[in-house]
Amino acid sequence: MQHKFARVQAHIFTWNHTWSEMLLALVLVVLVIVSPASAALRFADRSLYIRDVTPSATTDYTVSWRYMSPEAVGSVEMLFCIDPIPYHDCVPPAGLDVSGATLSEQSGETGFSIQSKTNNRIVLTRTPTMINGLGAVYRFDNIVNPSTTTQSFAIRLKSHASIDASGPQIDFGSVKGQVTDAIVIETQVPPMLIFCLAEQVEDNCAGTNDTYYKDLGTLDPDTTLVTQSQMAVGTNATGGFAITANGTTMSAGVNTIPALASPTESIAGQNQFGINLVENTEPAIGGDPEGDWENAIVSADYGTPNQFKFVSGDLIAYSPNVSLMKKFTVSYVVNASPNLRAGVYSTTITYIASGRF
Amino acid sequence: MKRFKSIVVAALVAVITISSVAPGLMVAAQSSASLSIVPKKNYTVEPGRTIKDTLTIRNLDADAPLELSLRVVDFTYTDDSGTPKLMLAEDAPQTTWSLKPFLDLPETVTIEPRSSKTVDLSVAIPANQGAGSYYSAIVYASGAPEGGNVGLSASGVTLVFTSVPGEVNEDLQLEKFGAYNVAKTGKEAGYTFLSTLKPETMAYTLKNNGNVTEAPVGTITLRHMFGQEIEIDNVNPNQSLALVGQTRTFTACIKLKAQEVEFNGTRAQSTQCATPDLWPGIYTATINLFYGQNGNRTQEITGSATFIYLPLWFIIVLAVVIGFIGYVAFRITSKVKSKRRGSRKRSARRR
Repeated sequence: MQHKFARVQAHIFTWNHTWSEMLLALVLVVLVIVSPASAALRFADRSLYIRDVTPSATTDYTVSWRYMSPEAVGSVEMLFCIDPIPYHDCVPPAGLDVSGATLSEQSGETGFSIQSKTNNRIVLTRTPTMINGLGAVYRFDNIVNPSTTTQSFAIRLKSHASIDASGPQIDFGSVKGQVTDAIVIETQVPPMLIFCLAEQVEDNCAGTNDTYYKDLGTLDPDTTLVTQSQMAVGTNATGGFAITANGTTMSAGVNTIPALASPTESIAGQNQFGINLVENTEPAIGGDPEGDWENAIVSADYGTPNQFKFVSGDLIAYSPNVSLMKKFTVSYVVNASPNLRAGVYSTTITYIASGRF
Repeated sequence: MKRFKSIVVAALVAVITISSVAPGLMVAAQSSASLSIVPKKNYTVEPGRTIKDTLTIRNLDADAPLELSLRVVDFTYTDDSGTPKLMLAEDAPQTTWSLKPFLDLPETVTIEPRSSKTVDLSVAIPANQGAGSYYSAIVYASGAPEGGNVGLSASGVTLVFTSVPGEVNEDLQLEKFGAYNVAKTGKEAGYTFLSTLKPETMAYTLKNNGNVTEAPVGTITLRHMFGQEIEIDNVNPNQSLALVGQTRTFTACIKLKAQEVEFNGTRAQSTQCATPDLWPGIYTATINLFYGQNGNRTQEITGSATFIYLPLWFIIVLAVVIGFIGYVAFRITSKVKSKRRGSRKRSARRR
């Protein structure tokens, strides 16, 4: 009797496993086969070639991509927007006009014609046909470029099974484009960088005291020699500005006073040469940057009171974007040890103001 | 005798005149150090073609002429920011992206006080030049002063970028992404994971392994643990570049404050970060970047990051709430325990 029960149990047990295995297999089949077919994929190898990238020029655009989902495609929507993200609101690029576009060439996936077009939208249509897996290239003539060079733009692409870009999308993706000036347009407000330097300068560089060198006096192990200079800088360039300090440390022939390689306090009796761009109390010299504009700042190594440094080529002040005029005061400290060789020690510091990239 | 006297008087007058004018001449001999230049130039030049342009330089000084020597030097990046590292040494090797061989401009220019001058510049790309980005810098150096212990000299720099269209190698890799504290005077910039102050900036660090400069575009989306969503729709508002080989950190304000400002008689738009409306808690950020030169593949980069914003007031409130809950729980437990103890004692007494 017990044997009979055991046999029945074993039979049922096997069947239980068979059912669960079948169920699992079915789920896997659904996952592997069904889901990729229903999920939208990104077009591969997307690119855009604009023959003439001059703003507002009428030119031709060659757009290429590779269809990914193995499905019949009946239409493609091309939406021209500033933002490439497909689910964001579309803001058309200023000046762009594709309403006069014509489809002059097509290769790879062919048979398309333009079904409809507006200023920033083109719908390509054809009889729904299974894709052939080749890369597709389409050339559109008579497109008017965006008028602004300050922003890139994108063409958002979507393929559909329908012939009018309605219904669910099959594949999607964006291509990026930008127009540029080959030569600067004269009517444009040109970016400029204003920079002045002297012992004393006015905030807006309208005037300086025309003094470009300073006598420090006699080096003494008990005294720190100090001096200061000023510079003002500003730019309307979106990239901002950068100022570097360049030169050698103080020297007299072959004898030099070593420059401070890292921010260090001024110590009388040690050979030191350094600068900073903030107000100091020991020694009392310098001043904090003047001007309301917060964008323009002093680099970390040159922005701590009573800490001085000088490494040629170091960035000492910068702004990451547009900055109205700001005035910086540079403090110089020189200390000498008792065994420093006699001589007239001097240096020339070149401050270089540049744009940023 | 009379003649001798007149000669002596004339000589004296001449000496006095020269001595009074001489300091003025010395001042005039010193070049101005106040200038206005174009900070950046961008060109697109096809192989075999030449572009002619002008650079406008202004002398802002009211008295001294601006005497500049012009020199083309190569540059690279200093760090992960947009500061150029100029290769000023005379014997500096030419970089592979150098524009020096193709750039032509005069060697010196003198500009009278309070006036400007345009300097001709041309970029000639040979017919066999490969596609890519080429860049160098034009250094305008004023003369070095003579005398004194500390001399000052001012130079301005125009960065010149030229893109030669064609098939190029583009490869950007996302190295870092997250909330970011921008540099302030005396403080360095850096990524932050946990912040008690509202992060105002998001940043992403890209390594450029290609042979062209890249200016990516795209969006960043911030999602709070309780559903708040913030979109940054321009992740590169200044059209900043990652130079060839550079690991570049790009920053984007979570909330942008744009304002029109007047700069030297012209209107300019300035953008600054405003304090964003962030809730205390955990944020998940996702980034979608696009890049690709004209005629080349548009490539996409995606990434995600997490950061926590816990303001001090929130930490204090949270601590008070937790303390209160703990206190209430303690009191309830104590009461239950004392009740149990009391009932046990009563039942023991009954027995």
